[in-house]
Amino acid sequence: MKMKRRSFLKACGVMTGYAVLSMNIATEAIASVMSFVGLRQKSVYAADANSKIYKYRKSQNNPMIAKIYNKKNGFLHDGPCGHKSHELLHTHYIDRSAKLSALKGKGYKFNF
Amino acid sequence: MRLIEGVMYRNYAPPKGADPDRITFVMVDEDKCQGCGACDEVCATGAIQSINDDGIHRIVDPVACMNCGQCLTNCPYGAISEGVSFVDELFEKLKDPDTVVVSMPAPSVRYGLGECFGAATGTYVGGKMHAALRKLGFNYIWDTEFAADLTIMEEGTELIHRVKEQGQKDARPLPQFTSCCPGWIKFAETYYPDLMPNLSSCKSPIGMLGPLCKTYGAKETGTSPKKIYTVSIMPCIAKKYEGIRPELTDSGFSDIDATINTRELAYMIKAAGIDFNNLPDEDPDPVLGESTGAATIFGNSGGVMEAALRLAYEELSGEKLKNPEIKVVRTHEGINTADIKVPNFGVVKVAVASGLKNAAKLCDEVRAGKSPYHFIEIMTCPGGCVNGGGQPLDPEIQASLFRSTVAQINKRFRVRKIKA
Ligand code: SF4
Ligand code: SF4
Repeated sequence: MKMKRRSFLKACGVMTGYAVLSMNIATEAIASVMSFVGLRQKSVYAADANSKIYKYRKSQNNPMIAKIYNKKNGFLHDGPCGHKSHELLHTHYIDRSAKLSALKGKGYKFNF
Repeated sequence: MRLIEGVMYRNYAPPKGADPDRITFVMVDEDKCQGCGACDEVCATGAIQSINDDGIHRIVDPVACMNCGQCLTNCPYGAISEGVSFVDELFEKLKDPDTVVVSMPAPSVRYGLGECFGAATGTYVGGKMHAALRKLGFNYIWDTEFAADLTIMEEGTELIHRVKEQGQKDARPLPQFTSCCPGWIKFAETYYPDLMPNLSSCKSPIGMLGPLCKTYGAKETGTSPKKIYTVSIMPCIAKKYEGIRPELTDSGFSDIDATINTRELAYMIKAAGIDFNNLPDEDPDPVLGESTGAATIFGNSGGVMEAALRLAYEELSGEKLKNPEIKVVRTHEGINTADIKVPNFGVVKVAVASGLKNAAKLCDEVRAGKSPYHFIEIMTCPGGCVNGGGQPLDPEIQASLFRSTVAQINKRFRVRKIKA
């Protein structure tokens, strides 16, 4: 089996120095991403609060939502979580853990 | 392969019926990888690992990877590429007079797209985005934001039902987890399948809009659903996986025919020679196009929670929520928890997690039966979809200064390696 990079580094005796440096770099990168994200997030909240962009701020006030759930002739006239909603808008989930266990069985390690 | 907004893409559109678990959505070019390890620092699952002495990285198997693309956006060498792209197929469909092509852009796309045309980070370009989609030849400019409003109605109602049925036989468990983020959903299915009953049964906004286009939208516009080709436009790579889930066929057809991300949309606009910056602001088409501020904040971590609370508060209390801003749940990073006092009802306990490492902490609590919350929102990407793996890259990450620092360290490492 080939040596993993980390164990190789340990063998070379530079593990600590390298790990510190590489960790700092990743942290630096993540910090820069977070400030970047802050800018995009701010813009999202500004649009939400701007009545020129969004006339309504609550989903239940969207006139097209009222139309689709209209009790008389709406497409989803039986309301949220009604029969038609369950048919079209709800789903089920699939247990994918066996595929992961198979990989672990081959010797791979994951974080969870 | 071709370069799209700084990222390499394989020209591969999976055929109908393909198994999403066997498709590589995110992949490492081993010739470009410098072994710096930035990718495995940001990957929550450990799916991307060093495979040899030089530290060259690889995603060991698509099964372990959530397709979030965080490794891709953080690789300083541009060594990580996308394995799926519907761009060529979409250009063909847009040319075909017999195909009715429907656009379905996610909230976050309109906060990222402008960056590809020189705008400042985060600039809102919703009006220009709708105009550009029309110019590209999309027949209906429908919008995933409408479906976000619908998701709030469905998911909020589900939460109210779950709260009310506690103590009854066959009650669905609390907390209820949100189900909008495809990276998180695959994560739960793979690493925490025992918590599947806690996942909201609601499809994500795009999962709802797809089948509505081919049923309700088809009816409203007098279009044959057979001819409709639905295009999910996302800030995300994991949405490409969601789009081809075999169970998403409730319209009687594939609900979502193609998924592209913000970078690919920018590429298509440029390839079509559209002068994006001088486009007038245009509105989406009615019926499945109109949306609210609650829908647009889905792009931020804590947004689905805040939007849901704007509904739940009014439904549970019977009173109007005067100020819709519920700032305590807005999340920049980490885990955020809050007690929301609802008159005539009591306290709604909520938690918001940004990133899968944080999600796992909340999952472990639920697994141990120690979770005090009613409702938990999880987003895989830091800060939410606005920083999704399909958004324009942060120029800082690939900036020369950063690259040279990494290169220096690598050089030192190699020197030592030779001596050793
Ligand atoms: S971040 Fe990029 S260069 Fe660094 S190890 Fe990962 S794939 Fe290789
Ligand atoms: S796409 Fe996400 S889960 Fe997959 S290897 Fe990259 S960071 Fe890890």
